Amino acid sequence: MISQQKYWNPVLETLAHEKIRKLQLEKFKRIFSWAYERSKFHRGLYEKAGIKPSDIRSFDDVRRIPTVEKSMMRGIQRKDPFPYGDALCVPLEEVSEFRQTSGTTGQPVYQADTWQDWEWWAECWAYILWAQGYRPKDRVFLPFGYNVFVAFWAGHYAAEKIGAEVVPGGVLDTQARILKIQELQCTAMMATPTYVLGMADTAKNKMGIDPRSLAIRKITCAGEPGASIPTTKKRMEDAWGAKVYDHAGATEIGAWCFECEAQSGGLHVNEAFFLVEIQDTETGEYIEEPGRRGKMIITALDRQAQPCVRFDSKDIIEWAPEPCPCGRSFRLIKGGVVGRADDITKVKGVLLAPSAIEEVVRGLDGLADEFEVLVDKEGDIDRITLKIEILKGREGERKRIEAQLKDQLRLKTNLGYNLEFHDYGTLPRYDVKAKRFKDLRGKH
Amino acid sequence: MAKKIDLKELDSKIQSMKKTAEELKQMGEDFPALYRNVSRILASIKMLELNVSDSAGM
Repeated sequence: MISQQKYWNPVLETLAHEKIRKLQLEKFKRIFSWAYERSKFHRGLYEKAGIKPSDIRSFDDVRRIPTVEKSMMRGIQRKDPFPYGDALCVPLEEVSEFRQTSGTTGQPVYQADTWQDWEWWAECWAYILWAQGYRPKDRVFLPFGYNVFVAFWAGHYAAEKIGAEVVPGGVLDTQARILKIQELQCTAMMATPTYVLGMADTAKNKMGIDPRSLAIRKITCAGEPGASIPTTKKRMEDAWGAKVYDHAGATEIGAWCFECEAQSGGLHVNEAFFLVEIQDTETGEYIEEPGRRGKMIITALDRQAQPCVRFDSKDIIEWAPEPCPCGRSFRLIKGGVVGRADDITKVKGVLLAPSAIEEVVRGLDGLADEFEVLVDKEGDIDRITLKIEILKGREGERKRIEAQLKDQLRLKTNLGYNLEFHDYGTLPRYDVKAKRFKDLRGKH
Repeated sequence: MAKKIDLKELDSKIQSMKKTAEELKQMGEDFPALYRNVSRILASIKMLELNVSDSAGM
């Protein structure tokens, strides 16, 4: 029975590490040649560095190849072949899909994909869903706005590909989505952590429906790091009575890593489809050993229309020390994507990753799910304000919550905070990716 | 016990499918319904190559 098979690909997912590395190098040579021969942008970059395809014989050679950053893609787009510019590797008539980045860090980047690329996207997601226990008997609900952002589009097509039934919950509001999940007894869904918690809140507090009474037993998250933050994951799992799994992907990269059913505290890199390198942000040294964080340089080994070759994603990751008990040989990154190189900021001279604040807030009994962090200046001194909500009926515990919050924030982030308590339901709610961290220091 | 997977045999059948699909595509240059559907089949065959053929020689 196909449904009883543990792995989507029993060969690649259990391939010995040295064989995976050999496969990666061969595939890297293939995609590098493809980009060199067909993209004016890539060829220009590599010629300037004096590197041609025949120079690539080892991973040391790979590391000499210049990286690509999002800002470089912005610079070449909105030109012919319109709108993708010189990185396009196929004739325009072969492009079948347009998506764009969300523009969180600036001008959105356009992404072209051929139909083969789109099959590839779904294939990468098929690895994810199978590893998270999705099977043909599942009825999968997708509560996202089907639009120009890649979001869960490939999750939709992968669910179809593995044989599951897909219910597209696009242009419905949250209450209508919950009613549809209830009506159809959907068994799985995919959403951002913010929206998973928001849906549970709406079901419980506005509709009188306990999400645990619904049939959802698997939730796949993306878009935010929450599903790899233990306290946020627990809140979601407790609210829905479901297993919550993380995955990471990006418009310009693809879906490159995933949590499996073992939930071992890390995400598997799909090393048959992606080459992940970790680089020390200070020294530029490449990190092979577990336990040292660095930024990710990633290559999508099979994406063709607009290749992703040594893309500097700015995601901060580290290799996990132990293999996963699930038996996959794809290496794990510990704790998922723990931050972004351009997200980790200095406040009062201390390095701060916003995900550390989330971990504290979501772990404190009596606090609601929403919060907001504001960094500004009081004179010349940085000031950091944390806005939180106390759950209804728990207002009497404010002193206890305040004391615990101060202690744990100090312990986790080494910073003192100005705490602002707000009435339940008054902080902004988000449907997709939340913007909870606001640094206003540059605006003074 | 799980059946042994013969990657070389699988790859041989995949290459045979690919050859047939490519021939059909050439024959369909004036036949949109043939040409476009075979193009999609070739994209699926590429996924078989990524899953099987790329590692068959290792």
